[in-house]
Amino acid sequence: MINITINGAVLSVEKGTTILEAAQFLGFPIPTLCHMAGLTPYGACRLCVVEIGEGSRAKLVSSCTYPCEEGMKIRTSTARVVKARKMVIELLLASCPQSKTIQDLASTYDVRQQRFKQEWETCIMCGRCVRMCHEQMTGNALGYHGRGETRTIGTPFNIKSEECRLCGGCIYVCPACQLRCTYTDKEQAICNGCVNLSLPCVEKDKFKEMMCYMDPCVACEISGTHYSNL
Amino acid sequence: MSDISSIEELKKLNSIDDLKKLYWSLFEKIKNDDKPQLVICSGTACQASGTQEIIRGMKKYIIENSLQNKINLKITGCHGFCEMGPFILTKPGDAFYHKVTVDAIPKIINASIKGELVEELLYRDPKSGEIYYKQHDIPFFNKQQRTILAKNQNIDPIRIVDYFTNFGYKSLEKVLSLMTPQQVLEQVKISGIRGRGGAGFPTGLKWEYLSKQSNEKGKYLVCNADEGDPGAYMDRSVLEGNPHSIIEGMLIGAFATGATNGVVYVRNEYPLAIKHLMIALRQSKDIGLLGDNILGTKFSFDIKIVRGAGAFVCGEETALIKSIEGKMGEPKQRPPYPVEKGVYGLPTAINNVETWANIPIIIDIGGAEYAKIGTKSSTGTKIFSLVGKIKNTGLVEIPMGTTIKELVYDIGGGAPEDYKIKAIQSGGPSGGCIPVSLFDLPIDFEKLAEAGSIMGSGGMIVMDERTCMVDVAKYFMKFLKCESCGKCFTCRKGTQRMYEILDDITKGRATLDQLDLLEELALVVKDTTMCGLGQTAANPVLSTLRYFRDEFIDHIKNKHCKAGVCKDIVGAPCQATCPIGTEAWRYIAHIARGEYEEAYIALRDANPFPSVCARVCSHPCEKMCRAGAMTGEPVAIRALKRFITDMIEPSIYKPVRKIKSNADDNKVAVIGAGPAGLTAAHKLSLMGYKVTVFEKDAEPGGMLISGIPEYRLPRKILKEEIKELLDENISLKCNTALGRDITIDNLLNNGYKAIFLGMGAHKSKLLNIEGEDLEGVFPAIEFLKAFNIEGQKLAHGRVGVIGGGDSAIDAARVALRQKIVEKVTIFYRRTRNEMPALQHEIDAALEEGIELHTLVSPVKIKSDKGKLTGVEFIKNKLGDVDASGRRNPEAIKGSEYTVPLDNLIVTIGDTPDVGYISYMGIEVNKWGTLIVNEDTLETNRPGVFAGGDVVTGPNTVVEAIAAGKKAAIMIDRYLNGEELGKPLERKMPTIYVPPREVEEVENVEEMKRIKLPTISVEKRKSTLEEVEITLTEESAIYEASRCMRCDLDFTYAEKIKREQEEFMGDIMKSNSVPEGEVLV
Repeated sequence: MINITINGAVLSVEKGTTILEAAQFLGFPIPTLCHMAGLTPYGACRLCVVEIGEGSRAKLVSSCTYPCEEGMKIRTSTARVVKARKMVIELLLASCPQSKTIQDLASTYDVRQQRFKQEWETCIMCGRCVRMCHEQMTGNALGYHGRGETRTIGTPFNIKSEECRLCGGCIYVCPACQLRCTYTDKEQAICNGCVNLSLPCVEKDKFKEMMCYMDPCVACEISGTHYSNL
Repeated sequence: MSDISSIEELKKLNSIDDLKKLYWSLFEKIKNDDKPQLVICSGTACQASGTQEIIRGMKKYIIENSLQNKINLKITGCHGFCEMGPFILTKPGDAFYHKVTVDAIPKIINASIKGELVEELLYRDPKSGEIYYKQHDIPFFNKQQRTILAKNQNIDPIRIVDYFTNFGYKSLEKVLSLMTPQQVLEQVKISGIRGRGGAGFPTGLKWEYLSKQSNEKGKYLVCNADEGDPGAYMDRSVLEGNPHSIIEGMLIGAFATGATNGVVYVRNEYPLAIKHLMIALRQSKDIGLLGDNILGTKFSFDIKIVRGAGAFVCGEETALIKSIEGKMGEPKQRPPYPVEKGVYGLPTAINNVETWANIPIIIDIGGAEYAKIGTKSSTGTKIFSLVGKIKNTGLVEIPMGTTIKELVYDIGGGAPEDYKIKAIQSGGPSGGCIPVSLFDLPIDFEKLAEAGSIMGSGGMIVMDERTCMVDVAKYFMKFLKCESCGKCFTCRKGTQRMYEILDDITKGRATLDQLDLLEELALVVKDTTMCGLGQTAANPVLSTLRYFRDEFIDHIKNKHCKAGVCKDIVGAPCQATCPIGTEAWRYIAHIARGEYEEAYIALRDANPFPSVCARVCSHPCEKMCRAGAMTGEPVAIRALKRFITDMIEPSIYKPVRKIKSNADDNKVAVIGAGPAGLTAAHKLSLMGYKVTVFEKDAEPGGMLISGIPEYRLPRKILKEEIKELLDENISLKCNTALGRDITIDNLLNNGYKAIFLGMGAHKSKLLNIEGEDLEGVFPAIEFLKAFNIEGQKLAHGRVGVIGGGDSAIDAARVALRQKIVEKVTIFYRRTRNEMPALQHEIDAALEEGIELHTLVSPVKIKSDKGKLTGVEFIKNKLGDVDASGRRNPEAIKGSEYTVPLDNLIVTIGDTPDVGYISYMGIEVNKWGTLIVNEDTLETNRPGVFAGGDVVTGPNTVVEAIAAGKKAAIMIDRYLNGEELGKPLERKMPTIYVPPREVEEVENVEEMKRIKLPTISVEKRKSTLEEVEITLTEESAIYEASRCMRCDLDFTYAEKIKREQEEFMGDIMKSNSVPEGEVLV
């Protein structure tokens, strides 16, 4: 067992526990975005930063990826943390203002201004969908393209992937929803189920064992075959 | 060429004794080979300068003339002095031939065979012309400590025998035969070596962690050769020039840590490095130095090459590991650290190329000996790539703790031409800028970090006054925003947003709030990102903000870029640099078209003293001229101005006059009828104010009349120009001095609502040495005034002038024009390069026969019966560099000597003669100049403004005119009750002047700058006739056509817009249906 203190509260945790898990155990609120139970920690959104270390060695680390170490003193809401957190939310708001998740975050953490040039992006590259696809659905259909400002998420060569089983898991986990189903647009629709009203999850054998994450699934809704109706 | 280099002779080494035997046999062969050798640098930089041609030419010449048995050629990697490439080093003799051309090949080969030198190809000091006969004597090499780089010039990188004959693999032999892994670790730890890749983690410690990891599945050693910093190429040079040293270093590392596999991760953009490394690896494998059971011991280790796929972030260790594994090169949050879980999840230690190259040296000389090099916390030497605005670019290896000053000025040779160095950028895109004021800083890991920069991999980019720091930050931010992997949000978006704000600043669109936001964001990015790239991405912004915040504010508030770089706010650099915003491009364009009246109007619009400035302006515009930046030959703007002012009658210019209804209630007083005062009076008069100008002397003109001699500025022209300015709104009262006849209170009580103080600086500074009150010693102003105003000729016999500024030259040339003067000598304490006077004035003075003695300072004035007989001088040498980037003179003890003189003129600067002013309630600083608000020119008394030399100390005419113009605007604002601090509008080029059409010129490079015509030297001595002559019309048009028309970028769009509007207007007209007609 490893002994740590979070905001003065003493706690002993098992080896390998992350700071985020420990803090959540004690009920200290740490906002997260790219983190999701069941997916490997990724540390991309930098929203969950907390302060560790003493004096000049104090630093901010992402709590979702950082394992607890013996004697660690963790602060989850120092001025430095709050300032960083607010700036991250401000940057998120500047990029993806229409996301309900981000609006809620801004409201919770009292971010009242957005001083950058407004953009209307639909993805914050949190990578939840990619990890969902790889880790939970063992799909490996999604990945990243490019780097830096031109980084995008998509299937290889941005064409419909053989690997994709149209499970919709990616959409289910998306906090900003780039991959929100565009319904009848053939080029962009995830499953095209609604277009031809053929239900991939019902009619095709290979989807038999699959749990559907689309809720509500447009195709199901239209055809009235949603599992809740069955 | 020689038989020892044939690889066939090398058989596989099966034991350590085999290796020892090999050494013996090789040394025996070297001993018997006493042919002279030519060493040719064939690094990438020299190849770009044409080394391959030289090598081919040499081989051809040797074969054609059957000289194979008389001379050896050795083709090596980079030697470091890339500026001078391609170069050849002779052995023995160490002569250094630079910038070798193909024609010189026979000469060099024949001379070397005979044991002679080719003098004209030897390196010379660019300033003194001194020839250096040996490579080591050249200052660039002399001040370095080249433990790693020096090996490059002895080794042909594709011949392993060369490495052996330079004691290569000796350290490996020592380790395998005499040491235990623990002992090796111990030596590396004692040596104190820290990672050369940038972060500076102690290598010994890293290895110790690795050695403690379990060895079950193997361990990895990685050589990080993903060198991506712009302008940095030391790793490339080591890999290209001495790949075996890396292999040896890694072998020793593997032995110490128990590692089983090695990887060299090298960027694919280094084809030569990859080639040489592949050859070296194959050779080592063939000979039994890599693979299983090395040299018959139980130690096994193998190295493979992985080529990078071109991402900057792959230099970061966790991203590098992913890239080696074949995954997307993006970092991973640490912990776990690579030393626990690295390549394929196995323990891994990653070190930089240079670190590995240092390891054999540490083992060879011992850790303790190595630790003596450098400072306590940063040991050893470090290679830097010195690039940017500096004379000697190249690779420099210095011990840690060397100061930046030594690096820049002693090794780098300082700035090229007469620009001032402003800052140095260390550590690549993740580093920061260190200003010239901190150049005393020793280069080590801690000190650089304290200054807000990092060591980085060792890029050192020197920047001078032509570099805009905002632009630098923007450049690096652009690089980082493209190179950020994009995984973590604050790095990806943070760099984008920082770039966005910086871009706004350089385009003049930002606000001061955005500057605060930039800083806030930079700090958060630094704090919250995942990997080293993001954490240091804010450094370029933070360090430039820390040291050059005024430049950011200048961009935002005044829309002004001092360096003339940010195109969108600079417009045409000549106009942007001119303190009074003269549209030089515009009148030059008109001259090129032969439209001289338009040219005069463009000129006169900005400048009330066009004829004066045409003669005596310091023309900062020419320094910024883009034609000059490219060819070193700026357009002769001042001469063109002279051409126009001599050709056109001033009366064709009709200024716009405003009428002020309440002018009589708003009288303004101007003190001093110099350029500042008269400009202020003129501008105020145009605004409709009634102005009274009070002048202490009998005539208006100030320094123009008393300081500048007639041969530079004819009195007739000056008087005419002043007469033009005085109109019915201005009344001039001469012989009325402030402090003697009038006071500020007295003026304010007599109905003057505002006062402008422009008294100038009319008191000469003294040397503060004994005997300055002697007969025959004159302060410069007194001497010049006596001559210029009263026509007195004070000088006789042998005249000495002390000083190096414009008034020193003026005084000397005035003295020369006095009949009973035999000889005039100028004494200056530094060298000619440091003299602040205008270059063409110094040239003219020397032409006229004035002598210049530099590097001397006066010590004592000698006299006989109260009369000057001579001056004792002491010789100086140039010492340390001061904050202005000039070297300070240091007296050489015991070098005193006496020069017999009949007159001495002291011209070491002037101060305002305003002892009375503080009694009138105006604040004065310790240099005796008035204190004003720089933005508004307001003194501490409301309504009292000041400008010109009385505020700045002695300065140029154009600065005084600028102060006068600004004061007029401020006084107008003050009297109208407006806010004074509002930023002044900056004009951008708007008026479109079509470029002159020229016929196809065959040889464009021939367009050289014209020489300024002057009268003969004999004539100059006897008369006061103006020295410079007007350009002929032909040469003026020629010179004007050399202008690159930077304005067109801005005015051309205007032109197109206007044409479109006209076109649309025409269509509208033609479309409008005349009445009575019916459209079908």
